[in-house]
Amino acid sequence: MTCDESKVFLSEYWSQTLGETQELALEGHLAMCAGCRAESERLGTLWRGLSLLPAEEPSANLRTRFYETLGAYRHGLEASSKSGSWIQKLAAFWPKQPAFQMGLSFALLVIGVSVGYGMRGVDKNDKRDAASEIATLRDEIGGMRQMVALSLMQNQSPSERLRGVSFANRAESSDTEVLGALLRTINTDPIINVRMQAVDALHTFGASPVTRNGVLQSIPRQISPMVQMALIDLLVDLRDKEAVPELRKLSADGALIQPVRARAERAIERLQ
Amino acid sequence: MAAVGAGEVSKLAVLFERHHRSLFRYFVSMNRNRELSEDLVQDVFFRMLRYRGSYDPQQSFTAWMYQIARNASIDNAQKRRAEVIGIDEIGERQTEPVSTAPGPEESATSNQNLALLKRALERLPQDKRELLVLARFQGMKYEEIATVLSCEVGTVKVRVYRAMRALEQTYFALEKEIAS
Repeated sequence: MTCDESKVFLSEYWSQTLGETQELALEGHLAMCAGCRAESERLGTLWRGLSLLPAEEPSANLRTRFYETLGAYRHGLEASSKSGSWIQKLAAFWPKQPAFQMGLSFALLVIGVSVGYGMRGVDKNDKRDAASEIATLRDEIGGMRQMVALSLMQNQSPSERLRGVSFANRAESSDTEVLGALLRTINTDPIINVRMQAVDALHTFGASPVTRNGVLQSIPRQISPMVQMALIDLLVDLRDKEAVPELRKLSADGALIQPVRARAERAIERLQ
Repeated sequence: MAAVGAGEVSKLAVLFERHHRSLFRYFVSMNRNRELSEDLVQDVFFRMLRYRGSYDPQQSFTAWMYQIARNASIDNAQKRRAEVIGIDEIGERQTEPVSTAPGPEESATSNQNLALLKRALERLPQDKRELLVLARFQGMKYEEIATVLSCEVGTVKVRVYRAMRALEQTYFALEKEIAS
């Protein structure tokens, strides 16, 4: 065995996982080569020292967050599988034979044409009434959506709050109440996934100056660098050039960790 | 993981209990930020759920998990590209330790030397540090490391040796810094 060949086997030799033949060959080489022997002893001591380094332990918060998020995920899965089964039940009515499929399609076509023909006589006033009713209904749905979003975002359960944030995502971009609730969630929610999702939902409200101010005030308050960076990215996504002076302050803010400051610097470059 | 892949999402908790500490240690060793590391651990487990369909039961679960962890770490590093990762090449510029200098073998187990060793590890370039963390802290087989790093097993062995040399040189450089 040459000196170069011996290097390949050293770490397994220190870990005592080397095969018998290779171990004998290596030991034979080390017995003859003082340089390799000294190096193996020095590095072997450091190798063993590495295993003595104390292991860092995560905080208990990690476990709590994991189980809460897993619960929310399962809840989401169950909800989607329920809606999936409803569609499957409906699909079960569809015949398997092509001849029946054609027959059913034709019957549906006839029904559709007849209903359309019957409704032909509806005059313009009726149409206007229908349009106004639809607008009223839309408003009501918007209001309900807002109410559901606001109440869910105050719920004790993180999975419910996540649902609340997804409702907020579908709110009108002018809905200041939902915007306020999202900013509150970003600033105060103890669960990072809820905060991250709330940051995503803020894209809907990008046109509002309240969003920019809220985001800029929130960044130094965040304890998670991931949320801080997501908020900075949001400002870039919104192409908010007016945020540049504030981003400059953040990039020089010693209270923030270096990656977040670097992120703010890059955001400035992209916005300029 | 096969059960999780088959739809038993709650089984992910078993994997979490088994692996979250070692994953946390891996991330902390790589980025030296506890909070970010906890975020990344969380991210890894939810990436496992998202990509559970890609898990091949014939493949080593540990290797698959660290491939995900590595991707999560890379994605995060891309987000914070400007971060300085240790003082790279410091070890490369140092000369071989002279034989008269006190070797680490004399008192490597003392707390002071362990602290020095920890600092030396932190100063290693990221690729070398990652290799030592996977090989020494995570107890991974070289075959698994080769899968994670997408290289040959022989390459892993040579790289481990080079990483140990760099660690030694950094260790002695730090020792000199403290002595002077």
